[in-house]
Amino acid sequence: MPTMIKKDDKTMDPPNEKPHKKIERDDIPESSNHIPPPEASVLRGGKINSKTRAMKAVTSIIVNTDEKPQKSSNKVDGAEKPETGHWSSNIGKFEYIFYKFLLVMLYICFGLLRYGQYQYNKMKLRIFSIIYNHAYTPQLIRQDVVSLKKIPKRLAAILEIKPVGDVGGGVTGLLNDASEIVCWTVSAGIKHLVLYDYDGLLQRNVPELRKEIHSNLAKYFGPSHVPNYAVKIPHSNKTFYNLDGIESETDSGEVVNGNDEGSGIAIEVSLLSNRDGRETIVDLTKTMAELCSVNELSVSDITMDLVDSELKQLVGPEPDLLLYFGPSLDLQGFPPWHIRLTEFYWEKDNNEVIYSVFIRGLRQYAGCKVNVGK
Amino acid sequence: MKVPSVIQIQFVALRRLLAETKEQFCFAIKNKLRRIFGWIMSFSLFSWLYRTIQNFLIKVLSVGPVPEHVSFIMDGNRRYAKSRKLPVKKGHEAGGLTLLTLLYICKRLGVRCVSAYAFSIENFNRPKEEVDTLMNLFTIKLDEFAKRANDYKDPLYGSKIRIVGDQSLLSPGMREKTAKVEEITKHGGDFTLYICFPYTSRNDILHTIQGSVQDCLQNKSQSKIDIKKFTNKMYMDFYSNKCELLIRTSGHRRLSDYMLWQVHENATIEFSDTLWPNFSFLAMYLMILKWSFFCTIQRYNERNHTLFERVYEGVPSILKRKKTSISLHQFPNPPISVSITGED
Repeated sequence: MPTMIKKDDKTMDPPNEKPHKKIERDDIPESSNHIPPPEASVLRGGKINSKTRAMKAVTSIIVNTDEKPQKSSNKVDGAEKPETGHWSSNIGKFEYIFYKFLLVMLYICFGLLRYGQYQYNKMKLRIFSIIYNHAYTPQLIRQDVVSLKKIPKRLAAILEIKPVGDVGGGVTGLLNDASEIVCWTVSAGIKHLVLYDYDGLLQRNVPELRKEIHSNLAKYFGPSHVPNYAVKIPHSNKTFYNLDGIESETDSGEVVNGNDEGSGIAIEVSLLSNRDGRETIVDLTKTMAELCSVNELSVSDITMDLVDSELKQLVGPEPDLLLYFGPSLDLQGFPPWHIRLTEFYWEKDNNEVIYSVFIRGLRQYAGCKVNVGK
Repeated sequence: MKVPSVIQIQFVALRRLLAETKEQFCFAIKNKLRRIFGWIMSFSLFSWLYRTIQNFLIKVLSVGPVPEHVSFIMDGNRRYAKSRKLPVKKGHEAGGLTLLTLLYICKRLGVRCVSAYAFSIENFNRPKEEVDTLMNLFTIKLDEFAKRANDYKDPLYGSKIRIVGDQSLLSPGMREKTAKVEEITKHGGDFTLYICFPYTSRNDILHTIQGSVQDCLQNKSQSKIDIKKFTNKMYMDFYSNKCELLIRTSGHRRLSDYMLWQVHENATIEFSDTLWPNFSFLAMYLMILKWSFFCTIQRYNERNHTLFERVYEGVPSILKRKKTSISLHQFPNPPISVSITGED
């Protein structure tokens, strides 16, 4: 149904008329409002996650006898949930406090063990970073990859911004991380890369990102042999080629040769944000409802294939391997439709974008077996 | 720094060898231990002790924060059967038993909702006998659950069972059965069990899209769809928005088309290498304890810190090396600078 797809694109994404020096969108908040899962949020570190604070937090539960979930985010507004007091009914007050006390003890033991594990993991990571070292040499990366049985066709990575005062923090740090991953991916011979960040900071800083990628690629390959790359924003349907290549609007997600006709594009980088997740699916539903109401589409036409092809068009194909460079897996709202069979890889307690995570992720992927349903 | 390739190859070979032997060794040891454990458990004193300790641990944890929605991907039944040279059916039966025990534990911990991935739509691609066996087993288990949920002596009393998924793929007889079970247990409130039977998450999303479009057509109230409403229309009612803890067994690190919508925002996803029938009380207890521990800290931080502080103050980790800023004036004075030409 090619006609409908066109229409969808028109209705959903009115072409952005602004000059593309800086793509600004109002719907993206300045700071992250993402609530990570408990472990990830605590292990992220920071002043508020100090050991003494953790201790205070753990012991405070004795005092807080009326502990209620602060944010019952599970409760969707408008829906009522059966309310039950499962504890108050069959347990005395004294017993309750006794169990709370024991729970604190249990927490403390667990915390100590976890701290030991944390240190062990950190040590392991340090050793890994010695064993796996790219030394800014693409040949070495390729050598690491050649021994693997298979590599993913599409790689995705979730990046997050670090506090400005930190090493590798702020937008610059984010851009640097992104371009490092681009270089590794090019060297490994993977043609498609998806970079996801919750707030869409990469999408808003495309010119800087292109510059950063260029300079980093020059560092790896030498200034005269910088591979061709394309940066794509599926949300606004734009593609940028190389450092100063012309920008064009492509209809399909395939890699098209840019201004340099002779050699193809070595890598295509798609930038995604939270906007491409749930919201896009809901937008698609709205569009379909509109089309149905004017009888251009019937409800029975909405099939898995149609939705899948539409979402492929709007967001891109499903990645094969998803790398996360944080301490504990946190998908941060990565487009849900696109993580169906995606392998995840992250290193426990790691908090940096490092090469060992990248190469070990590829190793895991090479060893995994996908059997849909079987 | 680059490690010479010769040494690197040695490393790799050694690592592989270690991994292989380690796996076999671990497996043998575990089997032995399990057998010894089973033997010890055959004494009533020990089994009583075990149960008492387990009850006690559950009670302790249940006074803290517990996840509301726990979800399982029950992977590894067939490998379990294969490793013990049993027919596949036995593996699935063992899996069903594990689910039942874990349900008891979850319920007593205070978890509100458990969902389990019983059968994927893709599983219809399996050999026909196996699909039939699974269906049969499923109906038997379902009846058992329904009976338990209605038996006030049973720990599962008062739970609600919902079978979610694309029911149109089931045979009419099956559909009748599932409807009956849902009907019997619909008054339960404390605890909901969602059994995802032929389910895939993409199918769930597609189903919701269709439903929303249909609604729009009927009510003529377009563009009123938002994420909340959309989520409410999904198979799992008000538990559709979020699943706090997803547990996947048997070592794969992917979601396999399960709970994509629920899990992709802020759920904790735990992967375990044990096969599902071997997934024990202790393993799950530790996972929930971990969740509970970190959740306590997170909530405490949320209560005591504004968003502003969280975003702008959370700078360097205490666990990392401390970076102190120092101004140039704080250094001791350098020695006198003298030029070789002797000038001032």
